[in-house]
Amino acid sequence: MTGNDQANLPDEDLVRGAQDGDEGAFRDLMERYKRRAYGVALGIVGDPDDAQDVVQDAFVKAYYKLKDFRFGSNFYTWFYRLLVNQAIDRWRKASRSPTVSFDDARVSGETSEPEAMVYPKTPEEMAGNRELGEGLARAIAALPEYHRTVILLREVEGLAYEEIARILDCSVGTVMSRLHYARTKLKEALKGFREG
Amino acid sequence: MECRETRQRIQDVIDGRLPPGEAEEVRRHLRACAPCAAEEADLARVGDLLRLWSAARVGEREPQLSALWTRVRAGIEQQGSPWYAPLLRRWFFVPAAAALAVLILLFYPSDGTRAPFHPKSFDVTVESLESDTATVALVDKGEELPRVIWVIEHGKT
Repeated sequence: MTGNDQANLPDEDLVRGAQDGDEGAFRDLMERYKRRAYGVALGIVGDPDDAQDVVQDAFVKAYYKLKDFRFGSNFYTWFYRLLVNQAIDRWRKASRSPTVSFDDARVSGETSEPEAMVYPKTPEEMAGNRELGEGLARAIAALPEYHRTVILLREVEGLAYEEIARILDCSVGTVMSRLHYARTKLKEALKGFREG
Repeated sequence: MECRETRQRIQDVIDGRLPPGEAEEVRRHLRACAPCAAEEADLARVGDLLRLWSAARVGEREPQLSALWTRVRAGIEQQGSPWYAPLLRRWFFVPAAAALAVLILLFYPSDGTRAPFHPKSFDVTVESLESDTATVALVDKGEELPRVIWVIEHGKT
């Protein structure tokens, strides 16, 4: 069973259905999280094709590991743990060590005067601002992988510190310090832009 | 509240992790202090831009993401099949190998002797026999003297 009849079911019900062999229930879970998962994977691995492979592999892995899922925790926390590990492994295997320094990653050159800048307000405006988008991508890529992951899970996914700590198997204090570092670095990289 | 103390708490304010009273104290300072307010705005903007960037990049990939289930389903099937399944998929030559094995058994019986009908050439004809038991024979005409290589007796070889 899949489609609108299951669209509003809570994750737990879909997980139960999937554990009972309802492939449609698993598909609904995938449809629910695929875009968000892709956003996180892309932020970690950087390359769109790699990110899609990571999401695909994470869902395949989730399908077979779902029988081990323990109710009482959130499905998405459990799934993001698989996803993030998969993405970080992929990034490491591709040997994409951050060769971009934060000076290189500044969205605008340090020597130029900060220009008046109207920040995008919608994804479409962001897509149209190539310089800002590419600069941001470079700045994200220049972060260490766990700092990158923390800020994506917090800012893009809106996860609580405690959830991020569970996903990354670290302390809340570590999440806070990584988040502070990542925010500060990205803020510096975006320095060249000032709202007009 | 001093600037130093405020800046240490900006992240907590952005992430909504301060108790209401303490958060209000920080906000009061931000309203009165332009440099701290600018710092808070810059840090908050990082999150805003990251969300827009992610949404834009996901939007660019929409066609591929719409078809993701097909790929996931294929991955599930591939992982669910036995370890030797990829080998089997490559064994498209199985029927040909079976036919070859039958031919080998015909021409080289298991006792090591050559079959009497081992052909010397591919110049083989089917001929009718005038016999009480045999009706048809395969005759190898590739040698100097024609040689019967197979006799079919009443439908049995």
